[in-house]
Amino acid sequence: MIAPDLALHATGIAAGYGDARILHGVDIKVIQGTIVTIMGPNGSGKSTLLKTIVGLVRHLAGTTLIRGRDGQPVDITRSKPYGLAALGLSYVPQTANVFADMSVLENLQLGGLPLGGGGALFQQRLATVLELFPVVSGRLASRAGTLSGGQRQMLAMARALITDPVLLLLDEPSAGVQPDFVDQIFSKIREFSQLGLSVLIVEQKARQSLAFSDYAYVLEMGRNRFEGTGRELLHDPAIIDLYLGAGRKPAATRTEAQDVRILP
Amino acid sequence: MLEFWLFVLATAGIYTIFSLGLLVQFGIAGLPNFGNGAFMAISAYAMAISVVNGLPMWAAAPVGIGAAVLFGLLLAIPTVRLRSDYLAVATIAAGEIVRYLALNLQELTGGAAGTVNLLGPGIAADYNSSWLRFQSGVRGLISNLVGQRVPSDVAFIAILWPVALLLLAAVWYMVRSPWGRTLRAIREDETAVAALGKDVFAYKLQAFSVGAALAGVAGLFFAWQVSSFSPDDFRPTLTFYAFVIVILGGKTNVWAVPVGAVLFAGIFAGTRFLDFWPLSVFASGDRAYLRLVLVGLGLIVLVIWRPQGIFGNRREDALET
Amino acid sequence: MLDQLLQLVFNGLVTGSIFAIGAIGASLVWGVLRIGNFAHGDYMALGAFTTFTANVLLGLPLVVSALLGVAATSLFAVLAHQLVLKPMRGRGLTSVFIVTVGLAFVIRNTLFLVFGSGARRFDIDQAEVYVVGPIRMSPGQAITIVCALIAIGLVGWLLSSTNIGRSMRAVAENSDLAAVTGVDTDGLATITWLITGALAGLAGICLGLVQGTFDASFGAYTLFLIFTAVVLGGIGSAYGALGGGLALGLVMEVSTWDGFAGGLDPRYKLILAFIALILMLLVRPEGLFGKARIV
Ligand SMILES: Nc1ncnc2c1ncn2[C@@H]1O[C@H](COP(=O)(O)OP(=O)(O)OP(=O)(O)O)[C@@H](O)[C@H]1O
Ligand SMILES: [Mg+2]
Repeated sequence: MIAPDLALHATGIAAGYGDARILHGVDIKVIQGTIVTIMGPNGSGKSTLLKTIVGLVRHLAGTTLIRGRDGQPVDITRSKPYGLAALGLSYVPQTANVFADMSVLENLQLGGLPLGGGGALFQQRLATVLELFPVVSGRLASRAGTLSGGQRQMLAMARALITDPVLLLLDEPSAGVQPDFVDQIFSKIREFSQLGLSVLIVEQKARQSLAFSDYAYVLEMGRNRFEGTGRELLHDPAIIDLYLGAGRKPAATRTEAQDVRILP
Repeated sequence: MLEFWLFVLATAGIYTIFSLGLLVQFGIAGLPNFGNGAFMAISAYAMAISVVNGLPMWAAAPVGIGAAVLFGLLLAIPTVRLRSDYLAVATIAAGEIVRYLALNLQELTGGAAGTVNLLGPGIAADYNSSWLRFQSGVRGLISNLVGQRVPSDVAFIAILWPVALLLLAAVWYMVRSPWGRTLRAIREDETAVAALGKDVFAYKLQAFSVGAALAGVAGLFFAWQVSSFSPDDFRPTLTFYAFVIVILGGKTNVWAVPVGAVLFAGIFAGTRFLDFWPLSVFASGDRAYLRLVLVGLGLIVLVIWRPQGIFGNRREDALET
Repeated sequence: MLDQLLQLVFNGLVTGSIFAIGAIGASLVWGVLRIGNFAHGDYMALGAFTTFTANVLLGLPLVVSALLGVAATSLFAVLAHQLVLKPMRGRGLTSVFIVTVGLAFVIRNTLFLVFGSGARRFDIDQAEVYVVGPIRMSPGQAITIVCALIAIGLVGWLLSSTNIGRSMRAVAENSDLAAVTGVDTDGLATITWLITGALAGLAGICLGLVQGTFDASFGAYTLFLIFTAVVLGGIGSAYGALGGGLALGLVMEVSTWDGFAGGLDPRYKLILAFIALILMLLVRPEGLFGKARIV
């Protein structure tokens, strides 16, 4: 069962590719309306965890429950990926997250498939996301492959948001994005969260993401290693040592954190 | 009934050698060569053409195998790097080019009429009289040994199968050698092997050439068994059958190849003998089609439900690529 | 000589549009479903023979028979997908290839069993010739041109302007992303086979009409030309397959024009096509019209 305040509850997730086991029993919770960050070294299985949650990789063990759009719990352990958008779960992969050969508008139209065609509801949602992402709205007719890294990330998020999801999974939204865009993307994410969206985000830019996360998990070798609120982890000496770079003083981190944090 | 089994064994021996080549290329090295029949054709034609132009048979045979290897390399150099579906299509197209060329280069090959026309229409060309002399020598030997006159097919088999078993042993050894293990590693993860500093491309070329050479040997025996052959003997289906044999036994399972070949040759030779109900409902010509329907169904069932073949059990034998 | 060229161009467009109709479907399943279908040529034969049954054996008008033939092939393709190809999902390209070889054996030899090995023809006046300016065309060619225009127009519209078409292109580009975006990949597979089967059936009927006579293996003989068109256009690109088919038909016919140093011996037309196929795979595996992509 999923606790009443949870948007996502994954327990004991094991998964892998062929013979290679990557995840060995990972537990993740996302409380409704919060931002949760997953961090960890390269290859620790962060992307695999998201892919397993959305059904692109099969669960070898464990269960994944979400709270659907209507508030009812849904077991998505065995679900096909294409049914999830309709339930209110959207996902932006780490790489190749737009259809590069298709136009920006077509990308959004595809995102709108779960809304049932190109009717009034789609038009209304399209207008909403274009307002949220003005960068995208100017390029509707362009081939998505011609967009810059940051614009692609925006398009991918717009595509994911067009269904008005309740839970959004983002895999390294800052990867391959110019620095000035990164802040924009992060501030968008905070914006959505304030509107009630639950967000599970995998991020390498740990300082920045911890700063605005309510809670964070650290994975290592496919297992939970640490967890805590964003603030706790930011100040945990072990975390600083291992993941945030030892060279910087905690004091500096605190200031940075205070600068960007908007959630209690 | 003896006649039936002799025919089956002769066909199966040729298929064994041919399929061994495919086992090396496809089973071990992961190169789905759908045009391997072309190398059989090239070897058979090169040998026959050499003989009618005056080369002795024992010199012409290596010429045939050499030609097959040469063309094998020619095809392999540009194609072995391709993704497997592209490789499949490229090799099948190459095989068809060879067949169409053989059909159309009448002065060289005798065209559609086959090798009887090797020296031009009207003159019956003969490339295998020295083979037949050799074979009848063997036949005499065996007849003396068993004390009664044996059919000439027995002599053919007595020459073919030792060669086939020798090649089987050789391939078995190759597969287990470091060379074979490297090839299998390449099949599983090419980049990892390349990272170890091995020349992946060279290994693939070697595997392809070994397969072509074995097809060449099969081509020689095929040519010797019949007295004239034509380009249509080397349709793409020939290679498809070899795929069936290799998959039947589990794609890396060397000793299953002759068993698969005998089974397959039995089904093929057997239409004349498959005259019991319900097959007797069909005219004998129709039974030929029916058996191909059954082969097709068998192949489908096998690949879907028993990708490791009927003899194979190891995961490695499974057709997953 | 110019008249000869015009005639050859026309003939090339006719055969080219048959290749194109066949190739669009083959390319779609290859790109969208990752199935290189060795039975595609036999699907074409199936279309021709079901039409033949309705037209010649049952005496129905050709148009009605052709519609029946297209529908039957389409349904068969879906059935084969459900029974044979769907269980193969997640398996490698080569295994799938081999399963379709089995499927090809079954279809072709069943047709031989049922219809015999003799040459068959549709109930149409083969001797009739329409003359339009310098061009002479058979009724089969005229029908083919009309069908090709309709089919290609429909497919173009479907791909560019409908959710189904967009979904197909999306899956062809990145099937995982398409799935998480909400494309029902299972349903789409069925629809793709429905379309591919219909197009293959139509291609087989047109080929039968243009050739005049056919037997159960005539589709299989055409398969490699279809594959050539697919590869010319870039695997998975329906527009590419259209261009590739037309280009292939034109090149094969026009190469025999006397203006080219007496013209290529028609016997070598096929070899020319296969050499084009291999060269394409080596030099531009992404197709003539595609942009560079990693093989
Ligand atoms: N499709 C795949 N097939 C086989 N192995 C894979 C595949 N994708 C990932 N892996 C392996 O799984 C392991 C975990 O990969 P994953 O992408 O989940 O890591 P990650 O934590 O997201 O790393 P990064 O920070 O680099 O994105 C790695 O060893 C990787 O090589
Ligand atoms: Mg990752």
